[in-house]
Amino acid sequence: MKLALVGSLVVASLLVGCNESGMSASNRPDVAPYMGADNGYMAKGWKPGDQASWNAEITKRNQSQSEYSRIK
Amino acid sequence: MARMKFICDAERCIECNGCVTACKNENEVPWGVNRRRVVTINDGIIGAEKSISVACMHCADAPCMAVCPVDCFYRTDEGVVLHNKDTCIGCAYCSYACPFGAPQFPSSGTFGLRGKMDKCTFCSGGPEKNGSVAEFEKYGRNRLAEGKLPLCAELCSTKALIGGDGDVIADVFRTRVVKRMAAGKNAGADVFGWATAYGKPSAPAPAAKPAGGKS
Repeated sequence: MKLALVGSLVVASLLVGCNESGMSASNRPDVAPYMGADNGYMAKGWKPGDQASWNAEITKRNQSQSEYSRIK
Repeated sequence: MARMKFICDAERCIECNGCVTACKNENEVPWGVNRRRVVTINDGIIGAEKSISVACMHCADAPCMAVCPVDCFYRTDEGVVLHNKDTCIGCAYCSYACPFGAPQFPSSGTFGLRGKMDKCTFCSGGPEKNGSVAEFEKYGRNRLAEGKLPLCAELCSTKALIGGDGDVIADVFRTRVVKRMAAGKNAGADVFGWATAYGKPSAPAPAAKPAGGKS
């Protein structure tokens, strides 16, 4: 009896290793990027939640890829 | 609303692989997976050899989305094609459908030898909360939500790889082509993969027949 109990505990503890992290079935619970990211890496110059300011910041960065507009 | 796209200017790419390294580092991409890579075309042909940086092009009508049996893909309002790794079953149908070879599979994962699909996210993460640790661990950085563009494009030393709003980067590329032509250089107006990913420009509508009278 005791042996069976110990055995089942060992098996149970081994099976714990087969767990996966939590999963969700929904594909798109995501929010729009202009809502911002909750971390310390936000670019300065725009306000999270303000789509117009996000668009302006992205357009500015788009234009910075063109030296013809960057260096005049 | 911005429609995010990539353009690789073959006249400028110097095959430095800076974009590949930036992507690997920024997103902590698993060993054996390259979300972005630099390919050489016309290898060894003098004057015709070009290098191009290739990754997911976030197609307008993405074939990966069409073939996925579990419908794990979705497109954001910014035109970025993303997928949910919780739904992905690692079947690799998407890798057969993709004309750019974008879907990659880690050599270890939930399904043994072939894990869940991994690809370029245009540095915009996945379904998890923007900028969260869970999102980073599965998909990498969400730079769009930080007000930034993909690092591969922002870091490119020659600005061969440009990414961002399709209209704006098309203007940037057009300006270069015009300047090159004006200088008598090779225009390099061909954009690799652009027509495949986003379709050819639609043909002009046929002229309307004049009203009245029988024909």
